[in-house]
Amino acid sequence: MRLVAYLLPRIAAALITLFGVSLLVFLSLRLLPGGYADILLGPFVTPEARAIIAQRYGLDQPLVVQYMRWAGAMLSGDFGVSMVTQRPVIAEFLRRAPVTLQLALIALGVALAAGYPLGVLSGVRAGAQRKKRDFGRLVGAMGASVPDFVLGSVLIFVFSVWSLWFRVGGYVPFTADPVGNIRSMMLPGLTLSVFGVALILRTTRDAVLRVMTEPHITAAVARGASPGTIIRRHILRNAAIPVVTVTATYFGFLLGGAVIVEVLFSIPGVGLYIFNGLLNRDYAIVQAGVLLAAVVFITINMLADILYALIDPRVGAVR
Amino acid sequence: MSRAVVDINDLVIGYDTGTRQVRALDGVDLTVFADETLAIVGESGSGKTTLGMAAGRLLPPEAQVLGGRITVCGVEVTQADDPTLRQLRHDRLGFVFQNPTSALDPTMRISRQVALAMGGRPGSQAIAELLARAELSEPDRILHAFPHELSGGMAQRVVIAMAIARNPELLIADEPTASLDASIRARVMTTLGKLRAESAASLVILSHDLSLIARHADRVAVMYGGRIVELGPAAAVLDAPAHPYTRALLAAAAGNEEPGERLRPIPGTPPVLAGRAEACAFAPRCLFREARCEAERPEARAFAGRDVVCHRAEAVIASDAPPRQEVR
Repeated sequence: MRLVAYLLPRIAAALITLFGVSLLVFLSLRLLPGGYADILLGPFVTPEARAIIAQRYGLDQPLVVQYMRWAGAMLSGDFGVSMVTQRPVIAEFLRRAPVTLQLALIALGVALAAGYPLGVLSGVRAGAQRKKRDFGRLVGAMGASVPDFVLGSVLIFVFSVWSLWFRVGGYVPFTADPVGNIRSMMLPGLTLSVFGVALILRTTRDAVLRVMTEPHITAAVARGASPGTIIRRHILRNAAIPVVTVTATYFGFLLGGAVIVEVLFSIPGVGLYIFNGLLNRDYAIVQAGVLLAAVVFITINMLADILYALIDPRVGAVR
Repeated sequence: MSRAVVDINDLVIGYDTGTRQVRALDGVDLTVFADETLAIVGESGSGKTTLGMAAGRLLPPEAQVLGGRITVCGVEVTQADDPTLRQLRHDRLGFVFQNPTSALDPTMRISRQVALAMGGRPGSQAIAELLARAELSEPDRILHAFPHELSGGMAQRVVIAMAIARNPELLIADEPTASLDASIRARVMTTLGKLRAESAASLVILSHDLSLIARHADRVAVMYGGRIVELGPAAAVLDAPAHPYTRALLAAAAGNEEPGERLRPIPGTPPVLAGRAEACAFAPRCLFREARCEAERPEARAFAGRDVVCHRAEAVIASDAPPRQEVR
């Protein structure tokens, strides 16, 4: 019951957010120069042919009508069909979702496995010695400021020249060839993970530093607790809350489709699909894709809300 | 006199603020004996917290010991290595902090925190008994609570229980009741005093609350400008102060004024020392000041059953009760 009371306002806020996202993506697509008719028919075409296409897809209707139709269809679970392939959008999303999910899990796994321990280490060292600069800040600043496409391009260059077991491009499904799948997924996964490593490292470091100045840590030191006990029992849990938040945000961002990296490494995931849909002005794909990404993002953040109410008893009354 | 638990010799501690040195302790000599309650009194900035924390070497990294020695339970604290210090804190010392709620881990149930403080794997029966010793009613309910679910008084009793969990020889309580409601201060202090007496430990209270000290301390050390300016039996020091600062503190304290009287705040502000004081640090605020006070650093001397750091102690003790301002 208290869980419901805790979640209800969050669900209401989520619905409002989704409405805003749907408006935003709908309008911004229509603000882009060129439309589906230009893509399909090319530049040298009669206005009549253009009008036929527009009429066929309802693009001649006022924007309000178009939006209402789309929103109504989405609410009843109809994600529309791709104008290019004439196939249902939802089927294509479902087919590609596992690829994006795998990529996201690789990136998240690497980011957590590297970022969290390094962040704790860096924070504890900095906190104990009052050092302002150390490797944690350096790695954090560098990792967060290198763009995906730069890093991906460098990796593609390096691993094209020396294969070193990894494979550039050449995606194969896991079910067809597990080893080949891993070989082709590691580089895009690593590219995506670098930002996550930096994000989680910096967040963890700052959280650990903040917790270490709290009086209850001094109290634990005063009781003669060993540094290991203090870190394990007191610092890790107290520092976990902001880390959970950014991890959720990062995971949501990954699941929304890592567009640039999927395009760069030709990974047939959701991101590549949305990207191609955008190039083709294939409205249904982009609109559904962005909205789905928003749903995933919001859901994950809501799960994070529940999780940190469990970590910190002061946050919520979930129990 | 009985055995010394703490022996401090000419202790000088400075804080490196990055731009300059600030001297927090300017040559402190102090002995704490077994089975006594010693109160250290002074305004904020007088150095009393620095002194208390120095006994467990719990000072922040900016603090530097510039001279002197602190021996606690036979361990030379300024020289000891980390394992020795940890052992000392673990086995011999107990600290009680000003704000009990923030001294407890907010994410951990009371039972687990107390169990960690007790060491080993105590059963919930043993934990409840310890809490009962700290005079917590309903210990079984408190066991399952989180710190934010407790009142300040209850939380401070939990902190006290954790501090005495391993029967320390020395308890250091830094403003143990300052953050509590006035109505429960006295009771928490009584509990602390009772537990100290049970284990024959020494208790050092750092406080600015003179009425609290008058009732609970055997001896009082008054600190000003990083020095102990008056040290002696509580009754003697509080009834007939020999240092003008002690006298001014008593005049400024609420609780012993007559109706219609106004409390007299001490004019001026406490000094911030950059180095060793070469004169009396209190002289600029002192009613008894003479030329010598601004030229010559007073040293501790035995006088009227106490140690006092003042050139004019004779005049101070001979003066009438601290002058009070009539309400017009």
